[in-house]
Amino acid sequence: MRREPPRQPKRLPPLLRKEGSLWIAVALTTLMLLSACGGAKNAGNSATPVPMRVVTDDLGRAVTIPVKVTRVVSLAPNLTENIFAVGAGDRLVGVTTFCNYPEQAKAIAKIGDTMTPNMESIIALKPDVVFVSTASQIEAFMKTLEANGIAVYVTNPTGTVDVMRNLKALGEIFDTQKVSDDLIANLTQRINAVANLTGPLASHRERPTKVFIQISKEPLFTIGNKSHLNEWLFNAGGQSVTENVDTAYPKLSKETASALNPEVIILSESDDNKEPNDAFKNSPAVKNGRVYKVNADLLSRPGPRLVDALEQIAKDLHPEKFK
Amino acid sequence: MLLIGGLLFLLLAIVLAAAVMLGAERLPLFDLSEQQRSILYDIRLPRILLGACVGASLAVAGAGLQSLLRNPLAEPYLLGVSNGAALGTMLAFVFFQSLEITRPLLAFAGAGLATVAVYRMAKSRAGMNVERLVLSGVIVTTFLSSVIVMLTTLLDAAKLRSFTFWLLGDLSQATVNGVYLSFGAVIIGTIILMSQARALNLMMVGERDAFDFGVEVGRVRMLVFGASSLVVGAAVAASGSVGYVGLIVPHLVRLIVGSDNRLVVPFSAVAGAIFVVFADTIARTAIAPRELPVGAVTALIGAPLFIYLLRRN
Repeated sequence: MRREPPRQPKRLPPLLRKEGSLWIAVALTTLMLLSACGGAKNAGNSATPVPMRVVTDDLGRAVTIPVKVTRVVSLAPNLTENIFAVGAGDRLVGVTTFCNYPEQAKAIAKIGDTMTPNMESIIALKPDVVFVSTASQIEAFMKTLEANGIAVYVTNPTGTVDVMRNLKALGEIFDTQKVSDDLIANLTQRINAVANLTGPLASHRERPTKVFIQISKEPLFTIGNKSHLNEWLFNAGGQSVTENVDTAYPKLSKETASALNPEVIILSESDDNKEPNDAFKNSPAVKNGRVYKVNADLLSRPGPRLVDALEQIAKDLHPEKFK
Repeated sequence: MLLIGGLLFLLLAIVLAAAVMLGAERLPLFDLSEQQRSILYDIRLPRILLGACVGASLAVAGAGLQSLLRNPLAEPYLLGVSNGAALGTMLAFVFFQSLEITRPLLAFAGAGLATVAVYRMAKSRAGMNVERLVLSGVIVTTFLSSVIVMLTTLLDAAKLRSFTFWLLGDLSQATVNGVYLSFGAVIIGTIILMSQARALNLMMVGERDAFDFGVEVGRVRMLVFGASSLVVGAAVAASGSVGYVGLIVPHLVRLIVGSDNRLVVPFSAVAGAIFVVFADTIARTAIAPRELPVGAVTALIGAPLFIYLLRRN
């Protein structure tokens, strides 16, 4: 009787054996990657080349973008507001978790916050351009995006002049110059209207009303002369009592705060900044009830709403002139 | 000893006087205006007194923990006790914003829990050695730090800003009530620690030896942990995490008076007060009218000083 030979497993074709499955995975992945790369190349080079143009961002870098920009990501809440303001909000495919204005911005895909945006989410959205104001390790961040064929436009507007320039540049990028020009004309006219009532926009003269801008109550933060709000306040007809502090947002000594005797206190209103610091309890501002609140978002996000805040504060500072 | 004690108190008086006279605003010695009186009594003095209480608190806690754990590196900041208190304060801030009294209470609870956690992790059947203790402290500290970072990330941006500043140690939020609370805590804490000084002296030799001498080891341990958590909780709730005070002050004191805890504990309290008031005077005036966080100044002085002490021994 023949002994049955030990049962041997049926030999599978090499690719289906156990060790083969790994190879399949590798091969498939490579294939997919190759085709993806090839696809991108084809789109760029052959059949219908996307017409490109070159614009210059705030860092002076030449940025190559499509003539027709259709998909963009904004990494700062004020840039989101500005893009909406020039009539291109519908082309935003990604914004930050901070972007809560206008209302439509809340519905757009979130890619993290300004300082720590998520690279993978951004790339997955396949934007033409990413608008960046700042980010941690911005150099490396820009390199990675550009290596993935995504244009990076750096702009960080601060004062009203910057905002106007930013709106103009955005109008050109999105080809919505009509909207942006009208907006700029409107904003300029409103700023001038305020200036006509509060006095000329010169930075040398003194304003009679001494104002303290409180950014946070505890610890006490305010503005110095490097903040755009210094000039903004001047245009509204007030003079910052901390304008000789040589930085943007200093933590101020309460002793100094108490000695400053502001006539008006403006609160950049947020959860932890709803009333003046105790150091001001004897100041003319508190004694005369001249404490005004402005939504912190308006002050911290240079965009068209900075002019809304300008009008509001000009009226608060000079009620007699706005009748 | 009397001489050294006298000198230490003299030094405290000098530093306090200098701190009262120096500040972002220049005040005259006499004839203060109403506003200047307000600056002095409402802002400067509470801050100086709070600084003194915080310094004394951290230094006695360091002295007590170092003797109890027979470890020169035992210190509220390194052992995670400060971070435990910081997390407690933060939770109180997030969940009971209007109830300020919850901050020191939760800070105390956090400090206590962190202390017990470190102690439990460090103690093995073979007893407790230096490496295990420091390692446990580092683990608890980094774990609590990451919880704090997670919380600050989840909070909105405005709150985050005040917390990052506070975490570095900041005395600018001193209030008169805060001073009373810290003062009460440091008096009670120091009295408890001094009452255990003799037992601590024996425990420095070894827990078993202390036991043979009739020391109730478990009770001493509980009292020292409790007192340290009390003072550190009060200090952190008032001023955030001020580092290095609990580490270098008891070391310096031992260098001068020897290792008898009946002297080390009270002298550390005075020396700790001197150190923090001195550091905070720098923090208040160096870049006036702006301010530095006091924790940055204590670390800037404390770290090189500790390295010097390390090389000396």
